[in-house]
Amino acid sequence: MRAAYILRRLLYSAAAFGISVTIAFALLHFMPGDYITQYLEQIYVIAPPEIVRAYNRVYGLDRPLIEQYFSYFLGVLQGDWGYSLSYSRPVLAVIGEKLVWTLVIILPATVLAIIVGIVVGAYSGWKRGSKIDLALLNGMIFLRAIPSYWLALMILLIFAYYLGLFPLGGYVGLSALDTGIDPLDVMNHAALPIFTLFLFSVTGTYYLMRNSMLMTAGEDYIVTARAKGLDELTILRKHALRNAMLPMVTSIALECAGMITGSIFVETIFSWPGLGMLTFEALKVRDIPLLQGILLIDTLLVIVANIAADLIYPLVDPRVEVGDGART
Amino acid sequence: MTTEEPLLEVRGLTVGFPTVDGLVKAANTVDLEIRPGETLALLGETGSGKTVLGMAILRLLQPNTRIEGEILYRGRNLLSLSEGEMQKIRGREIAVVLQNTGTSLNPVLRVGDQIAEAVTLHRGLRGGDAEAAAVTLLDRVRIFDPARMAREYPHRFSGGMRERALIALALACEPSFLIADEPTRGLDAVTKREILDLFSEINPGRSVLFITHDIEAAATLAVRVAVMYAGEIVEIGPVDAVLSSPVHPYTRGLLASLPERGMRPIPGSSPSLITLPPGCRFSPRCTRAVGRCKKEHPELVEVGPDHDARCMYYD
Repeated sequence: MRAAYILRRLLYSAAAFGISVTIAFALLHFMPGDYITQYLEQIYVIAPPEIVRAYNRVYGLDRPLIEQYFSYFLGVLQGDWGYSLSYSRPVLAVIGEKLVWTLVIILPATVLAIIVGIVVGAYSGWKRGSKIDLALLNGMIFLRAIPSYWLALMILLIFAYYLGLFPLGGYVGLSALDTGIDPLDVMNHAALPIFTLFLFSVTGTYYLMRNSMLMTAGEDYIVTARAKGLDELTILRKHALRNAMLPMVTSIALECAGMITGSIFVETIFSWPGLGMLTFEALKVRDIPLLQGILLIDTLLVIVANIAADLIYPLVDPRVEVGDGART
Repeated sequence: MTTEEPLLEVRGLTVGFPTVDGLVKAANTVDLEIRPGETLALLGETGSGKTVLGMAILRLLQPNTRIEGEILYRGRNLLSLSEGEMQKIRGREIAVVLQNTGTSLNPVLRVGDQIAEAVTLHRGLRGGDAEAAAVTLLDRVRIFDPARMAREYPHRFSGGMRERALIALALACEPSFLIADEPTRGLDAVTKREILDLFSEINPGRSVLFITHDIEAAATLAVRVAVMYAGEIVEIGPVDAVLSSPVHPYTRGLLASLPERGMRPIPGSSPSLITLPPGCRFSPRCTRAVGRCKKEHPELVEVGPDHDARCMYYD
């Protein structure tokens, strides 16, 4: 039954999340050094022992490990993801605020990269060995080979500094101080980060799609379609594209999750106040509770992307029938 | 030879596939004609060039294939037609039932829709009319409950049913010429029998090139039979003459290898299609080969009424 299948997927996902929570907890406790001491070193030359004790008590570090684990686990489930040392605010609140800004650049970049990667990759694979295929393939290999941080810097240098087409960084102009946040102004600031993220992501989708199309183009049912008298474009559109896209569903889902990681340096370079920059800042000051929270939210996004892929797959491939009562 | 104008005439067809190891000569100066309404069986073992010949007629081989010669269909050379003109012939005038039934239907499209697509393309029927035509076609190839099966995806079809669906697809536009590539391959004896019956039932008046390695199937359906070996036709003639009094040592060997005729396999294996033997291609395996067979390449010569063979002994 479909409901049973979905329920089972959700159960597996919940288990996966539970494991990530455990790992996040373990990382914190098995990492060398004590983050409270390190944090206090930034404030005091020598931290007074009573202050250290007070911090340990507030963060629950004086309790037995097993108790800490269960209270952390329970806390995560109840929405208490800890308290950020550097922001002096609950981790979840900080993350939630930054996640919105990350989505502002990640969503358009991902959608664009998927569409362009699939269309160009499909065409390239269909026209395998042709001049246009080789030109596209080499262009994509070149793009992939460029170190991404360097590419981001060059884009910033050329389009923002020399050409002055876009702002150098940030997410709003100074005018926002007077007039509030203007969506157009935000999009103007977001253009370069989106473009950069798109360039990172599009090559992967292109490769996968081209490869998948190479396989599909050699299938017998493509010969059948040709033997019917269909023209090449119809064969590509009606017969090849959908089959070639089947393996893409899963990889696209993972690619979306990968974008979160990709956003770290893009946001850092473009001073975009999202989750990526937050990660970078948390790393710099060793805000461990915040890093834990970011790890968890990343895991959660990967899990959600996977569930989405699992649910979408049976819709595009009739051979995949979910559960035992799928036959109608 | 009959004087009737052939429907399809293959002249000097040579097909080569460039590979890293050299040119694979899959078909060599093949001459063949298919007369209106007749079924010609093309017999030969795997790799003899049967499928290549069939695919070359519809120009369905890979783009880098080297093709020489002429394929005349109703007087027009198919090899010199534009791709657009060729698309009007495929499926409408000449249809094919591909081998590998398991993979020849698109797994993500409903079987009925795949058939309706051809109906729409060549017969101009749209929507519900095309679907109805697809159901009729499935019914014609004896698919049980065709209206329901038309809405199913190929993975719900058994091997025999897929074969039938592919035949229905090929018949969608009543082609004058049908190429059937190993339609009985991989089927159990009962299903094979049914498919052969279906073939004799659906094809009155239609010219058929029946590609097979199954001598029994050829004997059941064909009027004439052509035997291919290493890319060449080595014997061609009326089915009775070729199967009851074969001339070429290879044809004799094939018949002798049948279970009911002693099951004596031909010693050795087919030559590499990249480096072919200089003389008769069968000479390395032939028990009757003499010195001349190893040096000179024999031509097809007439050995009986409408019966030709490629052997030195008849030169």
